[in-house]
Amino acid sequence: MNHPASRVVPRAAAAAATTILLQISGAAFVYAILSAEEGWQVVALLGLLGFGFYLLERLPWINDVVVALLARVPVVTTATAAVIVLGFPFLVGSNTYILHLLIVAQLYAVLALALNFQLGSANIPNFATGASYGIGAYVSALLAVNFNVSFWLTLPVAALAATLFGFVIGIPCMRTRDTYLALVTIAFAVVVHQLLNNFEWTGGPNGLVGIPAPTLFGHSFADPIEVFGWTLPSQANFYYLAAAVVIIAVITARRLHESHIGLAWNALRADEMAAKAQGINVAWYKVLAFAVDAFLAAFAGTIYAFYVSYISPDNFTFLVSVTIMTMVIVGGMDNIFGVIVGAFLLTILPEKLRAFSDYRLLIFGVIVIGFLMIRPEGLFPQRLRHYGVER
Amino acid sequence: MSALLAVENVTMRFGGLVALDNITFFMEKGSVLAVIGPNGAGKSTLFNVVTGVYRPTAGRVKFDGVDITGMPTHEVVRRGVARTFQSSRLFRDLSVLDNVIVGMHTRASAGVLDVLFRPAVARRELATAVEKAEALLRESSGPLYEQRYRPAGTLAQADRRRLEIARALASQPKLILLDEPSAGMDDAETDALVADIERLRAQHPELSVILIEHDMRVVEAFPEHVMCIDYGRLIAGGRFEAVRANPHVQEAYLGTAAADA
Ligand SMILES: Nc1ncnc2c1ncn2[C@@H]1O[C@H](COP(=O)(O)OP(=O)(O)OP(=O)(O)O)[C@@H](O)[C@H]1O
Ligand SMILES: [Mg+2]
Repeated sequence: MNHPASRVVPRAAAAAATTILLQISGAAFVYAILSAEEGWQVVALLGLLGFGFYLLERLPWINDVVVALLARVPVVTTATAAVIVLGFPFLVGSNTYILHLLIVAQLYAVLALALNFQLGSANIPNFATGASYGIGAYVSALLAVNFNVSFWLTLPVAALAATLFGFVIGIPCMRTRDTYLALVTIAFAVVVHQLLNNFEWTGGPNGLVGIPAPTLFGHSFADPIEVFGWTLPSQANFYYLAAAVVIIAVITARRLHESHIGLAWNALRADEMAAKAQGINVAWYKVLAFAVDAFLAAFAGTIYAFYVSYISPDNFTFLVSVTIMTMVIVGGMDNIFGVIVGAFLLTILPEKLRAFSDYRLLIFGVIVIGFLMIRPEGLFPQRLRHYGVER
Repeated sequence: MSALLAVENVTMRFGGLVALDNITFFMEKGSVLAVIGPNGAGKSTLFNVVTGVYRPTAGRVKFDGVDITGMPTHEVVRRGVARTFQSSRLFRDLSVLDNVIVGMHTRASAGVLDVLFRPAVARRELATAVEKAEALLRESSGPLYEQRYRPAGTLAQADRRRLEIARALASQPKLILLDEPSAGMDDAETDALVADIERLRAQHPELSVILIEHDMRVVEAFPEHVMCIDYGRLIAGGRFEAVRANPHVQEAYLGTAAADA
């Protein structure tokens, strides 16, 4: 009854149809860009994307309408998303390269969502997410290689180990801010990389090899999946696993964002002194952001290790953290969907620009800057919270 | 003994500057204390010492029977002290409503694990907070409720000050510290502010208020307890009429104000 006038409340059937159509178009776009071979195809698709975001920037109401539509029929939205995610490998078929890209993109989406708690929600410039990712990967790989621990058990153990690491970085960061805090986290990232490189038991620069594929109910993740007469390549196992972790990360992010914890992070981002004056224990909330970030990053690390079955320190350099940070900034700080889009775009793009060989990185940089010029606050900027609208 | 707030021999030095010089005063539950004094006298510093932003160089602060000297700000707030800032410090990119909900932070009982694994509990708690916040916004004299989904940074000056008060009240404090609440308000808005504070006192007879004010019309409205600070020293205290008549005060404060006017 008492809806704010600016909110659009469309009719359910129309909303459902639009929702399905929108999501299918989105998926089709992802498929098109993934399977584009020629340079001009990639350029054309990027042009389309750029134009779409240009429209969104000029006509911000489109965003509001779409968000209202999706929120109007949450079940349809979720069901469509589920069908698309589950069905995508069938569409891709035996193209393992596309599946590989999707797995990596999903792992980066988890990492970007993890960092978003800090960078997006609380404006903590943490450059050590790559280190937490590495710690997750190494802890689980070491357990599996040396002690034959099952993948499913290494997952929580690695997450706890990384969370502990998160607390350890968090503590010196409690009293620092901005540039100084960034420096502290950079130091941690570099130290972790160096330690992985120099320890004997981590395999030094050669890393760890022979990480066994996980099994689930007797099905090895190294084997293809057979369903209803379809055969999906073995990568599909990891695709679905990564998708499950993205879902866990999204649920975690949503629940935290829509609670007083997310609000407390936003408050200390806006004004630390005022946040303290509302009774917020700023130091604790900063440490908490580090812990949640590390926890999720370790999940991604564990899956990565078991997926590629070989890890080395160079997978977890400081540059990985910078990449994750770029994904959050380009995608949209404190916007869950935006961060995922950022992760996908920045994972897929460099691969697709291989057609331009030597100019690849240059063009990649130009495109990222281009998107930031079109959408200075990220592809999908943060939104104000609305309460009880679909009551 | 039973004072809600006891400030005892508090001195605050910043290097060579003595911002507060051996200040002592007591405050009863349910009273209003107006603090006046010229610019740079140390009034805001007093608030910062009481709320734990600064640890005093010497002296004690007791609140509700507990020594809170140098306690971290968030602990002091948890014990029932809320404040506003002289240069309003809203969470500019959060909505008006969210600003008030953040103000209820000390009332939230759901922990991280509840939020993650018992979302229904956390959601119910937040829904209650939303209702309470909306009620607080409706009670304010400004059009805050109508603007509850606007970023707080886009509010007009007077509404910002009102929102800061609403946010401070959200924690259901025992003591509220208002640092120049009427700054940037016109006469009508200032009258509404006085009415707001009076209504608040009627609704919550236990609530104590300390007001820092330059606008004598506001001070006049709460004349029982007034104190004047000058160069960090408490130069006069008592009823408004007496403080106003005090020659030290006239010299230090009213004199310059009159000269300005
Ligand atoms: N953090 C600080 N470091 C150094 N000096 C400070 C600090 N905070 C306040 N001061 C100084 O202490 C003195 C008192 O400042 P305060 O802000 O308490 O004055 P005030 O009475 O609130 O003045 P106004 O009416 O202008 O708000 C001033 O000289 C100020 O410069
Ligand atoms: Mg002041």
